[in-house]
Amino acid sequence: MIYFFDGSKEAFLTAFLEAFPDADAYLTCTQKQLSIGQESVFVQSDEVRAAKAERRLLQLDKNSLSDLSLLLRSGQTGHEQIAYRYLKKIATEGRPVRKMLADDDVVAAVECMNRVRWEIHRLHGFIRFMESASGALYAPFSPDNDVCDLLVPHFRARLPQFPFVLHDVSRKKAAIYDGKNAFVAPLERAEVVLSADEQGWQALWKRYYASVNIPSRERLKQMRGYMPVRYWKFLPEKISPSDG
Amino acid sequence: MITEEKLKILTEGAKYDVSCSSSGSSRKNKGGMGNGYVAGCCHSFTPDGRCISLLKILMSNHCIYSCRYCPNRADPDIPRAVATPEEICELVIDFYKRNYIEGLFLSSAVYRSPDYTMELLLRTVKMLRTQYNFHGYIHLKGIPRADMGMVRQAALYVDRMSYNIELPSERSLKLLAPQKDKESLLSPMRALTQEKAEYAQERKSSLFLPAGQTTQMIVGASPESDGQILRLTQSLYRNMGLKRVYYSSYVPVVHDSVLPDKPVGQLREHRLYQADWLLRFYGFTADEIAPEGENLPMDLDPKCAWALRNPQFFPVEINRAPLEALLRVPGIGAKSAYKITEARRFAALGFEDLGRMRVVLKRARHFITCKGKYYGAKNESAVRGLLAAPAERAEQLSLFSDRETALAALTGDL
Ligand code: SF4
Repeated sequence: MIYFFDGSKEAFLTAFLEAFPDADAYLTCTQKQLSIGQESVFVQSDEVRAAKAERRLLQLDKNSLSDLSLLLRSGQTGHEQIAYRYLKKIATEGRPVRKMLADDDVVAAVECMNRVRWEIHRLHGFIRFMESASGALYAPFSPDNDVCDLLVPHFRARLPQFPFVLHDVSRKKAAIYDGKNAFVAPLERAEVVLSADEQGWQALWKRYYASVNIPSRERLKQMRGYMPVRYWKFLPEKISPSDG
Repeated sequence: MITEEKLKILTEGAKYDVSCSSSGSSRKNKGGMGNGYVAGCCHSFTPDGRCISLLKILMSNHCIYSCRYCPNRADPDIPRAVATPEEICELVIDFYKRNYIEGLFLSSAVYRSPDYTMELLLRTVKMLRTQYNFHGYIHLKGIPRADMGMVRQAALYVDRMSYNIELPSERSLKLLAPQKDKESLLSPMRALTQEKAEYAQERKSSLFLPAGQTTQMIVGASPESDGQILRLTQSLYRNMGLKRVYYSSYVPVVHDSVLPDKPVGQLREHRLYQADWLLRFYGFTADEIAPEGENLPMDLDPKCAWALRNPQFFPVEINRAPLEALLRVPGIGAKSAYKITEARRFAALGFEDLGRMRVVLKRARHFITCKGKYYGAKNESAVRGLLAAPAERAEQLSLFSDRETALAALTGDL
């Protein structure tokens, strides 16, 4: 049976309980074409049941819910099912399982979480702010995983006096820090008036990037491995002048 | 705002320095801007495959010295520039704010005199910390023969300092960098190490070079063997307490009869970094890795080479071998070794389990048994044939490791 849910944690946990006895359960929130004969159900989130599942999971593994939160943020197809199999393993084993590294379900979950963590780490480096006329900083980006709010603590700790907007342009949402509080809001498009010096600093940065390279040692494959092309769209140093 | 031209000159003069790491400091934000990021952070990568973490720049490329290999040496007629402390500070602040960089790596040629240069550097880092309120990472290059009082003072404002040892022997130093001698490089290193130890004793190590000292040497401009280089490296780690030794394969930017006119292959540098790794994290000694007068083999990584020289050590049984023994298996890195020790507590591990755990078995299979069973080649020459990888791509190991440590820090894995 396929169990559809809306992607929220509560709905996931409700679906989790619903699916638990079913040996062939498949959890997903992407509406996909069913093949003939496949049965499906749409699970409505049930707060009471979700809270119950939450308490039970926390008893078995105090980190299970933070793991779940990372897994639900994954952009990998099938991540809902990976989360389901992982939590089911915790429930059946009755204890933390993350160190059972020879188990397929655990390996899948650990790798899925590591990909999310790794992207967060990468984005700590690849985020590019531009300065607006008001002094607030604006960074558009398009991450693989739903992580914009998880980037906030890092930037808030180092730029406490600067309001900033981390705009996930694909998911059309933004994590916003107003200089005091942080929150997430839907954001389709942002109109940003740049500060007078912004272009100048971007030009200096591009100049720096070009000057620090050692052309006789070109290793493009390695560069692309460390900094995949899909991130370039938002890096001033990788946007050639002819593209504006 | 500094001009693009000046930025270009001062960057090009600094770019052959290898170290760009921003790791090791957890400096806190105390109002103002910036903090440290223990795991280090790469902000971009250049087409040569290197990471940009710090703004790597010279205060000046005017030099009164004439190190034979250096593009900034006194004689040639090249564009020269000097930055003001304000220009450097603004650049750091505005780059940092936009998240282009993790901090500053400030170095300089010897402009006018060692003291004059050191004073400029000191003024800059002090200004950056106290006037611009910057708490991000600063790596400062020490100027040989500069007044130690100023050097010590500068150390109070920065996260890391480095004196470059430049060349792997005194003889080569004399020949290629005649105005520097061994003592002018080692004695400030020693003094800083000592002072750091004193701060540590008073539990104030975060106040004085929290990320310690590093150094760098050019490989391939002079005739020293890898064996010699690794012995020097080992003593720098053990006796000077350095955090990192960097190797920079020689790139001929200058033509000179005493210098080779061909660059050193990246593979040699890569092998040295692999060996350095074995020294620091895998419990190997320089003696085990390479005999004094010899170079590291090019066709095998140094751990494989060691394993083939020491067949009596193998195979190791993955279900029983202690961590130190697992770490000596070619192809098993720190992360895999850790995974094995964790996973085998749940059940005895078979060969397929290792594959599932993403342990790379291409090399390891010849050196291990799983539940007593051996899956490798039958005899040594077959193993050697299977292991040799002449066309191996030279990866920048330091970056790879940053990823590992970063992940470990995030996952609490190691
Ligand atoms: S001291 Fe030597 S290595 Fe340093 S800038 Fe001057 S010439 Fe170059």
